[in-house]
Amino acid sequence: MKKITGAEIVIQTLIEEKVDVIFGYPGGAVLPIYDELFKQKKIRHILVRHEQAAVHAAEGYARSTGRIGVVLVTSGPGATNTVTGLADAMMDSVPLVCISGQVPTHMIGNDAFQEADIVGITRPCTKHNYLVKDVNILPNVIHSAFFIAKNGRPGPVLVDIPKDIQTFKAVYKGKKNTKVISYYKPNLKPNINQIDQFIKLLENSEKPIFYVGGGVINSGEVASKNLFKLIKSTGFPCTQTLMGLGAYPTSDNQCVGMLGMHGTYEANMSMYNCDLMICVGARFDDRITGKVSGFSPKSKKVHFDIDASSFNKSVNVDLTVQGDLARILQAINKKIEEKKISFKKAKIKDWWIQINKWRSKDCLKFKNSDKIIKPQHALKRLDFLTKKYNPFITTEVGQHQMWAAQFLTFNKPKHWMTSGGLGTMGYGLPAAMGVQIAHPNSLVIDVAGEASILMNIQEMSTIKQFRLPVKIFILNNQYMGMVRQWQELLHGNRLSESYMDSLPDFVKLAESFGATGLRTEKPSEIDDLIKEMIKVKGPVICDVIVDPSENCFPMIPSGSTHNQMLLGPNDKVEGEISEDGMVLV
Amino acid sequence: MNKKNLKHILSIMVDNEPGVLARVVGLFSGRGYNIESLSVSEVDSHKFLSRITVVTSGTKIIVDQIKAQLAKLIPVHNLVDITELKSFIGKELILIKLDVKNKKTFDLKKKLERLSAKILEENDLEIIVQFTGSPNEVKKIENILQPYKIIEQTRSGLVSMATGTDYIKK
Repeated sequence: MKKITGAEIVIQTLIEEKVDVIFGYPGGAVLPIYDELFKQKKIRHILVRHEQAAVHAAEGYARSTGRIGVVLVTSGPGATNTVTGLADAMMDSVPLVCISGQVPTHMIGNDAFQEADIVGITRPCTKHNYLVKDVNILPNVIHSAFFIAKNGRPGPVLVDIPKDIQTFKAVYKGKKNTKVISYYKPNLKPNINQIDQFIKLLENSEKPIFYVGGGVINSGEVASKNLFKLIKSTGFPCTQTLMGLGAYPTSDNQCVGMLGMHGTYEANMSMYNCDLMICVGARFDDRITGKVSGFSPKSKKVHFDIDASSFNKSVNVDLTVQGDLARILQAINKKIEEKKISFKKAKIKDWWIQINKWRSKDCLKFKNSDKIIKPQHALKRLDFLTKKYNPFITTEVGQHQMWAAQFLTFNKPKHWMTSGGLGTMGYGLPAAMGVQIAHPNSLVIDVAGEASILMNIQEMSTIKQFRLPVKIFILNNQYMGMVRQWQELLHGNRLSESYMDSLPDFVKLAESFGATGLRTEKPSEIDDLIKEMIKVKGPVICDVIVDPSENCFPMIPSGSTHNQMLLGPNDKVEGEISEDGMVLV
Repeated sequence: MNKKNLKHILSIMVDNEPGVLARVVGLFSGRGYNIESLSVSEVDSHKFLSRITVVTSGTKIIVDQIKAQLAKLIPVHNLVDITELKSFIGKELILIKLDVKNKKTFDLKKKLERLSAKILEENDLEIIVQFTGSPNEVKKIENILQPYKIIEQTRSGLVSMATGTDYIKK
């Protein structure tokens, strides 16, 4: 068989993995791969302006399609710039393959120019990583990387390829004839006995709640469909995590909204008072639980997850079922049908009466104004005016992110891309690029804050180059709003470094990149601005000047429990926030 | 729920590839778990497998989490919590160099013989003693030799194996 170079192998294996787009930035140690990229037409390369953005763009691509995002960067700084993105993908379980160039094998360890031990650096923030020292196993490594990224709980995999390996020759026999060199075999099939135990709990519960996370979205559409069927057949309420929004339609009446630190009153009160908590693909993250010792004290807890290490990590549960959520939910639905179990609405009638009482508090209400734009109002109008386009929403991190989660509607999975676990400011703009590449004709909106957007603003140049019609909706309050909110709450209103001085003129900034800039500070103009934003064919930056003092409510102050929520600015924390609470992030 | 901090011996079968030990050790340090002792060596040169023995301690919840996290590492084939098995053997090896310059060694050597410790090196200046045994036995030897002038000592991590059919699969 004909021998081809390592660089050719990289391209061939990517083509066999059905990769159609990669996000990257060239440099000395990946030039042979870029040369091969130049010679072919099957893979499109999106040149970003910073390697962190390449990873976020690949995340946006992956999360909006369910496919694997691919990144290509050079050694040293190119590779280290990907670290934040890889850590983000690790926390939010996004399947990625990141290929980095490395100095030639004989130079490794020599402190060569643009050398960094990227395998060492990324070991804790990738699902797995490889340094390839033999060109003959390069095909196996790349196919293994794709296998590992997607199977089990998804995550990022890095493949570090020294420059000499890219030029050495080896035989590539195609994917079918290339062995995956990993023992990794995640179990997907649930244990049926555990499903039976779960059905019993389901039948006996009077105050149940489904607590749904991003795992459902990762598992795929079958999981979402089965979840919908199960929730509908039981008549139980359902709350979603930040990552789970869209796994179950948020406009459905059985959905009680997002839970957690900025979740709805009804969701958190239901979690606190339930007698059966059914966690589907979520991980009892600290933003969700609040103070663990006071977390849902009266409930039996059931946890479905593909990742066994998520069980009993922060909260002890009574029943765990490990496996692919699509299969678990399917098995449950099948059992319910087989046993002809019908869930009597009467049994949980009182529970719904209670939930509706909590709902009637209307915890997301805010005092609107005709003088100054309330950020919540801006998002409500954005939701109303864009709903019919079924938009893809990305966000940065902070108050605007929480408001977007609270006020936008998510009726389909894979339409909501936000940095949940790592909380990476600067995520939204590059992620929106990746989404737009995958869905060129869809409306893609990055809901941003004026602070976050500046963290990857250089990507306007990428947007210009690839004519990506991304819409950037900045809620500009001239503060790092969430930082300020915490300083108000916990640090005596001493606003240390949280004011954004010297902001750019976002309209001119947009124009300098060939985009459209729109700006308003009048509530009466917000609808026109949004309509104009949708109408413009190309990229748009909307600079929406909002009330600088608005805070994000409801809120569970750190160190508190679900039943100790602050519902508005006039709510005071009962007593002092404890020292334990103060040290929490 | 068991809140007691107990010692656990974990035996982990891994691919013998570069960086595998760093993955295991990094997991412990990164997540704030404790390593009391560690030993690692290749045990199958055909399949390139190494066996790592880690002694750690924690409550049941923490040790279960450690095991789940270890099992998630891609190069980990299998792992067994040996302390949870019916019966097992755990041994360490210690080397101790004693200063015997101008000293009579007759009594010492008698003692060592009784304890079935080996003398690996003996000259006018020093004696190097090798002893293999359970952690408690090793500690005992250390205590017995305290009155002598110890120049240096080195101790391996624990290696462990279950008795009967509870063997770790590859």
